[in-house]
Amino acid sequence: MTQTAAIFLDAYRELNARKLFWITMILSGLVVAAFALIGINEQGLRVIVWDVPFPLTTELMSETTFYKTMFVSFGIGFWLTWIAAVLALVSTASIIPDFISGGAIDMTLSKPIGRMRLFLTKYLTGLLFVGLQVTVFCVASFLVIGFRGGAWEPGLFLAVPVVVLFFSYLFCVCVLLGLLTRSTIASLMLTLLFWFLIFALHTTEGTLLMVKFTQQQQLENQVSSLKHDREILAAMHEGDSSQENIARHETRIAEREQDIQRAETVKGRLDTAHRITMVVKTALPKTSETVNLLERWLVDAADLEPHDEMDDEFAAYEADPMETAAQQLTDEIRDRSVWWIIGTSMLFQVFVLGLASWIFIRRDF
Amino acid sequence: MKANGNHTIDLHDVKKVYRGKIHALRGIEMQVHRGEIFGLLGPNGAGKSTLVKIMMTVVRPTTVKGTMLGRPIGHKPTLEQVGYLPEHHRMPQYLTGRQVLHFYGALAKVRRAQRNRRCDELLDTVGMSEWANKKISSYSKGMLQRVGLAQALMNDPELVVLDEPTDGVDPVGRRDIRDVLVKLKDQGKTVFLNSHLLSELEMVCDRVAILVQGRVSQFGTIDDLTRESRRYEVVIDGLLPDGVLGSFENARSESLPNGTTQVVLPGTEASDVQPLLDTLRQQKLTIVSVRPMRESLEDLFMRAVMDPTTGKALGVGAASNGTSAKGASA
Ligand SMILES: Nc1ncnc2c1ncn2[C@@H]1O[C@H](COP(=O)(O)OP(=O)(O)OP(=O)(O)O)[C@@H](O)[C@H]1O
Ligand SMILES: [Mg+2]
Repeated sequence: MTQTAAIFLDAYRELNARKLFWITMILSGLVVAAFALIGINEQGLRVIVWDVPFPLTTELMSETTFYKTMFVSFGIGFWLTWIAAVLALVSTASIIPDFISGGAIDMTLSKPIGRMRLFLTKYLTGLLFVGLQVTVFCVASFLVIGFRGGAWEPGLFLAVPVVVLFFSYLFCVCVLLGLLTRSTIASLMLTLLFWFLIFALHTTEGTLLMVKFTQQQQLENQVSSLKHDREILAAMHEGDSSQENIARHETRIAEREQDIQRAETVKGRLDTAHRITMVVKTALPKTSETVNLLERWLVDAADLEPHDEMDDEFAAYEADPMETAAQQLTDEIRDRSVWWIIGTSMLFQVFVLGLASWIFIRRDF
Repeated sequence: MKANGNHTIDLHDVKKVYRGKIHALRGIEMQVHRGEIFGLLGPNGAGKSTLVKIMMTVVRPTTVKGTMLGRPIGHKPTLEQVGYLPEHHRMPQYLTGRQVLHFYGALAKVRRAQRNRRCDELLDTVGMSEWANKKISSYSKGMLQRVGLAQALMNDPELVVLDEPTDGVDPVGRRDIRDVLVKLKDQGKTVFLNSHLLSELEMVCDRVAILVQGRVSQFGTIDDLTRESRRYEVVIDGLLPDGVLGSFENARSESLPNGTTQVVLPGTEASDVQPLLDTLRQQKLTIVSVRPMRESLEDLFMRAVMDPTTGKALGVGAASNGTSAKGASA
């Protein structure tokens, strides 16, 4: 206990000594302050005391919804998961390289504390950094939404574990690379690269899925048209259409059948491609999905669905393939179980941390 | 308790092969008694730090048998009673001297109340009280060394292991450190010291081991190791008449440039030299001085690192194969 407390205290002092910790804190504060300064009313947005005409008005969404949407889409979706996460990586990437640098590590390894425990505690101090940042951000946002939006939403604090979880996927990779390269810059760069690759994979998978659904939709449309054409043909045979007309119609059906065949081949390929990306994805941490979980939960918990009414309106229209596919995509992604998202990501993390601890335990310093 | 109950450190067959086939240690046998100051010396790269790091669980040994404070080497909880100052240590730059002591004290499982007490005490002992609240980053090398020593003593250890503690410390500081070590010994603690400053080791160490290319080349009390070289040097005025030394087979004489003659007689006890003095006095020779002499640690060291076949000092560093250091393992 004394030891763990000492390591955490030391980690805090280290972060404290590093300007970046406070810079990130201040930036977070500014982001929340910007929230507080922006309001919404009948004419549009209100920045401090000036009205800015804007299509988004209180007629479209209430003040509460406005703030909640801002929090989820901008606060979490943009600030915490991109900018603040990069800053957090930059400030924590040096933890392990500094820790294992010659002369420093001797002092700690020679203390009555197991290597495994030492290493994992050090890892947790990195997460502590992000935990602190997110907590401060959430408290501030909670107050802003409470006072400005008039809704007290404790559900916001779900962001703390979720963002820490998200960060931990990246941090474990950073720790492993730091251990291997002993260099802050190298581990940071490689981690950012890894993050980018995961993100690219995520985007690829989404795109493939979208294309696949569109293709499927088109295929279904074609199949039903074919059925329709066949009925017409049957009617033609019964009626007294000219041979010429019937022949033309038959050619059309043949063409359509060919199209369908081609579309099926394409669909088969898309399926395979998608399945491959999914396999790769399952093995890797799911950063975007983890953060999106928050949106999913907040929507349920804080009934935050800004587009609800609009969906009903559009439902009356004939769905075009793209529209339907987009809806299917959203549903499909929503339907991915929390256990798949978090479970497999955690498996990845356990694997990476296990590997890192193993290296750390066996290394001669 | 076992027969080795009064051995604080009892090492057998300690071997370490670093990656790249560097044989840093090639079978160390070594015992350190409770309550003594033990000095480990040897040329650069002989494996001194490696041996210490193995005891402190910083480096994993290839093979090791033996105990430290009665527990197998590598037993973590034992380290609660051990203090360690590594060579080239680097303490967190953002901490003050006092915070450093608290941090490492806490890692050694020292309770807060006791830490507070020890902190002031030790800062005073190493003469760093005035700098206690300044950041480590502003310290000089010797100051870092002093704080490092204080850090190693935070847990009031039974065994203190110091790797070149006087590196970069000024003469006053070195004497202070020496005093600290002697005080520890008086309290019944054991001190294990790595150093290149032979004259200092000579002053404080009860026993020494000389490590050469990963093997123990000399081991024992300084007295024992230098016993063979102990002698008396008698200086007389004028020349020594022929035949005076006839009955002293081991004695040698040599005339010095200032008109005196030096007679050297091997021997360890004062009684050994009395017959010679009697003989000289009977010859009415003027005895200028009688001095008991022995080899210095430096001479011993030089002898240990000398390759007997070539007469040159053995090269720096570990041998990269198992055989090239035969000469050193005599
Ligand atoms: N981490 C390491 N990896 C590989 N080889 C090492 C490592 N540490 C030490 N060595 C090698 O082991 C041998 C012994 O090194 P060690 O540091 O124990 O010597 P030393 O006796 O303390 O020397 P010095 O008097 O210079 O401090 C050297 O040849 C060194 O090159
Ligand atoms: Mg050394």
